[in-house]
This record gives sequence, C-alpha cells and structure tokens, in this order.
Amino acid sequence: MSMHWAALLTDVRTSNSSACDMAGIALWALQFTPRVTCSGQAVMLEITQSLRLFGGQAQLHAQVESGAKEMGVRFTAWAPTSLAALAFAEAGIADGFAKPLAQMLDLLPFDCLSAVKVHAATLARLGCKTLADVRKLPRSGISRRFDKELLLALDQAYGLRPEICRWITLPLSFAARLELPGRVDTASGLLFGARRLLLQMSGWLAARHAGVTAFTLRWRHDDMRACTAGEGGDITIRTAEPTQNVDHLCRLLAEHLAQVVLLAPASDIEVLATEVSPLAEKNHSLLHDTAKQSEVLGQVLERIEARLGKKRVLLPKLVEDHRLECMQCWQALDSPRSNAVINPTHVPQPAWILRTPLKLAMLENRPIYQGPLLLLLGPDRVEGSWWHQTQSSENASQSKTVQRDYWVALSVHAGALWIFQQRLDAEDAAWYLHGHFA
Amino acid sequence: MPTVTQHQEAPDSLPKDALHQRIGLAQLSSRLVNAVWRGSDRVSAQHAVVPTGFAALDAQLPGGGWPCQSLTELLQPQASLCEWRLLAPSLKRLVSEGGHILMVGPPKRPHAPGLVQLGLPEKVLVWLAADTPSERLWTTEQLVKANPRGAILAWLPQVSPEQLRRLQVHAQACDCPVFVFRPELARRDASPAPLRVVASLGMDWELHVQILKRRGGQHEGTLVLPSIPSLLAQVLTPRLLRPSQLMVRKEASHVNALGRAADRRSHQQLVSL
Repeated sequence: MSMHWAALLTDVRTSNSSACDMAGIALWALQFTPRVTCSGQAVMLEITQSLRLFGGQAQLHAQVESGAKEMGVRFTAWAPTSLAALAFAEAGIADGFAKPLAQMLDLLPFDCLSAVKVHAATLARLGCKTLADVRKLPRSGISRRFDKELLLALDQAYGLRPEICRWITLPLSFAARLELPGRVDTASGLLFGARRLLLQMSGWLAARHAGVTAFTLRWRHDDMRACTAGEGGDITIRTAEPTQNVDHLCRLLAEHLAQVVLLAPASDIEVLATEVSPLAEKNHSLLHDTAKQSEVLGQVLERIEARLGKKRVLLPKLVEDHRLECMQCWQALDSPRSNAVINPTHVPQPAWILRTPLKLAMLENRPIYQGPLLLLLGPDRVEGSWWHQTQSSENASQSKTVQRDYWVALSVHAGALWIFQQRLDAEDAAWYLHGHFA
Repeated sequence: MPTVTQHQEAPDSLPKDALHQRIGLAQLSSRLVNAVWRGSDRVSAQHAVVPTGFAALDAQLPGGGWPCQSLTELLQPQASLCEWRLLAPSLKRLVSEGGHILMVGPPKRPHAPGLVQLGLPEKVLVWLAADTPSERLWTTEQLVKANPRGAILAWLPQVSPEQLRRLQVHAQACDCPVFVFRPELARRDASPAPLRVVASLGMDWELHVQILKRRGGQHEGTLVLPSIPSLLAQVLTPRLLRPSQLMVRKEASHVNALGRAADRRSHQQLVSL
C-alpha cells in the first residue's frame, strides 16, 4: 500500500525562532496522525491511516493546509514518500499525486534532495541537471564514486526502499514559548502570538484526547525594562468544562487580557496547559435533539449550583394548602419531584409574594403603600391550621395559625396588590402586604 | 397621574402604495423598489420572534414580537411591577413548546400558584437565587451560553453597558429570548440591547409601553395595552374595570372630609365599593 505524506516547509529566512516553531508545528500536527517527523526545515506527516477520518481526503488536505498556514508554514506538499514530499515542497509543487511519482520526480532539479545536493559540484560537472540525469548514471559507479547515502536517498524518494523515520513523541505536559518578532507594549497585542501557541496546544490536546480546564499565559519583559517592572507576569484562565476550542480560548484570553496592563514591553510569551482533563467524545445527532438540549440545561444548572451554593437553584413544588405562604415550597435541584396532581386554587393568586408580610402604615384607618390603596375585591377569608406547629430558632413551638381577610388592593404606583387584615388580635388589627400581581 | 399621549399613526404604517405614489417609485420595477431601503421601514426580522400576545405591540416590534437571539431590555419604574403581565402571554407560548422559564435573581419570591394561573406550569419554573451583581451576571451568561429552550429572565439592576454588550454577543448564539429587567433610571444610558422597552402601569388595568430603541425607525408615543393579571379578569365587575373613576370619587369624598376628626365613614364607603 502506498503511503501518503505531507511536507510542511517552514520559512527560516523570516522567522528568527525556527527551532521552537518546528517543535510547535510538529505538536500541532500530532492531532492528525501519530506519525510526525522533523527533518531540516520541514515537518513531515504520514497520514495514510487518517485518510478516511476528518471528513475524507479532500477535507483533510484542506484542514492541514489552512491550519499550517495559520501556524506560519510556507508551503505544503503531498507525495507518496517523505523525501519526495520534501522535494516537491522545495520545488513549489503542491500535489505529488497528479502523475506517477517517477515521472514527476525526474523533472525536478537534483538539488531538491539534500543527500544529492551535497555532491552538487561533482554532479554538475558530470552534466547532470535533474534527478533523471542522476538516475541515468550507472549505480555501481555512483556507489563507488559517491557515498551510499546518495543512492539510499534516491531509492527512498522513488519509493524503492523503505524509509526509516524518528517519530516525534507526545510530551506529557504542554508548554510552548514564542519569541515575539517585536516588542509588544499592550496586553491585547500579545493575543496574536498567543493564538499561535493556543493552536499548538489544541493540537496537543487533540492528540491526547483531552481538554484544557485551565491554562496560563506568561510573558517576559524585554531586557530594556525599567528595574521596577520585574521579570514578567502571567494570567491563568479557567474554563467551565474541558475544551480544545481555540476560538473559545482566544475569546476568553482576549477578555482577560483587556484588563491587564503591561508594566514593560514584552519580548516573549509562553503558554502552559495547567489543568488538563480527558474529554469524552460525543455522538452527534443528525436531527435536532431536544432531549440533549435539556440535558445541557441540566448541566448548566448543576454548574451554577456548584458555584452559587446549595439551595440557590430552586424548583417549585405545589402543596395543597389554603395559606398563601404554604401553597408552594421551592426545593433544591436534586430533591425528589412528586408527580402528585394538585388541584389548582381558583382564587386569583399574585405572581410575587413577600417572604414575610410587610406591615402597612395606616393613614386615617386605611392602609397605605406608596400612596393610598383602593380596596377592590374582598374579603377572602383564610383561617385555621391551628394544628400546624413549627419549631422556631429559640426552640419554642410557634403556631402557624392564620386568621386573615385577603383583599385585592390597587395602588397608583405599585399596581394590584394582595393585602390582608390580620384578625388574630383584636387590639392590633393591622394590614399587611403579602403579594404583587405583577 | 401622568398624562399619556395616545399612540399616533406612524408614517411607517401608511399603505405602501401611497408612499410609492408620493415619492414616485411606482414607475420603477418591483425588484428595484424592494431593493431600496427607506429609513421609515422597520427592519424585516432576520431572527425568529415570539409574538407578545398584544397585537398593538406586535405591530410596532421588528418582526412582530420579542426577538430571539438578542437581548431585550425591559425598564420599569420599580421592580416587580408588571413583568408577568407584560410577558406572560408570550411565555405561555414558549412553555407550551417545552421550554423552561429561567429566573435569575428575581426581586421577590416567585409565587408558583400565581404563575400556574398565568399559564406557566410549575414544572417549567426555575428560580436561580443569585444575589450579588457579579453572581447575577455570571449566572445569566452561563444560561445564555447553554442555549436553553424557553426564556431567560434576568433582573440586573446594576449592570454596566460593557457587561450588557458581552451578554448581547453571547445572546446572538442563543435561540431563546433573553429579557433583562432594569430600573427606569437607566433609560438615559446608552445600551447595546437592540430592543429597549419601558413599561409602566396605567390605572385602568392597562400597561403603558414605550419602545425606546428598536431596529429600524424610531417609535414615538406610548402604547396602551389592556392587561388584567391572572384570574382577576373573571371576578372583576364592570365597575371595577375602571378604578380610575373610583379613585376620583374617593378623592372627591376626601375633599368633603376635610376638617373631620376621623374619616371612618369614608373608609367604610371605600370598602363597600
């Protein structure tokens, strides 16, 4: 079976930190295949096993090429052998699968292969220009005249001999540094460089099948800094759930960087994956899945409960009772939910209630709340429940007996209100506000 | 009582043909006419909307309802004034499609039996008791990001424009309407919410709604929407449907009562009304 190689040629001339770039690109490339190797100025990927993944060959090619461009790769070429791919990349030919490999390679100048380039002067004096010319020379003569590397490289490039590569292994932790091309004065200016490092991190995460829950961006001030500025600084950014999504991480980083003031211009940055947790792959549904959406809502509510505390995310439970404060109770998220059918009350009920009824001030024997109240409907008498005793905090039992006449009152400013007149004690027959019909 | 200017016919409600006659567009091809955007046109809805349940309000909102995938700011003179009266008709529809009503930091304790009477069954209600401004914001943002079904109601009295902008950015990816309740004092502040509405109460069981900001042309005047909370509609007598007249009568009785030691009689009179 023929192999499928990609050669990502980096640009040494413009980038002054090619070594770290190469390692970064190799890390990033590990998300496509576990077989990644570095040679000279290029990173090579063997993606034969991944051709049917990532949405097919064309999609995979497009993903690798667009990603590589963002990582600062100069040229991407495809070929059946790694040396051929490298040669095509040097020559500027993207697709090495267009014609049979030997035909395409024969046309290339012989200095495309580094093992052949070593002997460029001698070969040129022999009248060779292309790889075809070199191949036409007698093999025994070449092996006697030149070293054996030349023949080996030629055979490997043409796919006649197997290639031996040192595959890059995945590091256990992620930390990538980038020397900035110029001094960066503002924190938000770090974002461009950080994005490249985050891309590498997402490649590393994809290869590890993991997501990041916290990552740190460190920056070092340049050597011309003021002595008070210190070495540099860092920020750690946390996400709610493990993610590999570069766009999301960049957004988070941008929001955090917006609040950071650099004490001195920064010269290089470093991104570390501080907390990594395994990411469970999800099956995607073809149809719009409503059950899944409610599952997502459940997760969010759990997360909110985790942050705000218990008894802060509440679900209502109706209770059959005629007292307003006992008609419902709000329960925590994980409390059991009953399916008992509650007969709804037919008395109009307010939409908001006060936890403890508010005693209303009186003006000329009439209750006032934000101005005079107009009593519209009533009375609706609610009384009883002498059997209901609760233990108060002082350990004294307290009766929840009520004797109230409820009225619908109208206020000019506060709208329709649900107020009651306490009938328990004759001496202070006070009015209380208990609810709002908002 | 504040005086209320009745909503006047806005130029955008003119028949289209008359408009064409006036500016001489009738001769142009229909394709060209459709391509010309006039400032008085309301923007056609790019996003889904939820009908408000009030025909007069629907007619003035871009797309004909509360917008999904965007923030809607509701300003009120005081909290817990008319939230449910304004939103219940539209929420009822959302709930019937299997959504949840997510309340972030409501100003008072929600009364589930009362909400059931408004057509919102207790199973769909979720009360997120976030107290501090930062908790409220964080909770709202998490909910918006989760893209739930139903509606998000957030009471954010102290929110800043930057925070609202952030919410609005997230809301663009959220398929449910997001309502933010703020005090009416905020009406002079700039806000990134595409729709801003001021709601206050009228005396005779009505809501006075002003649209401060919407996509498309400016809206002038006040909309008067009839609205009677929950089951009160069934029990109000025709006389009680006009409380303003009762108020006037009460004030009149007050004038007579001047100089009296105790106004016991007028109180009883009022009660017997």
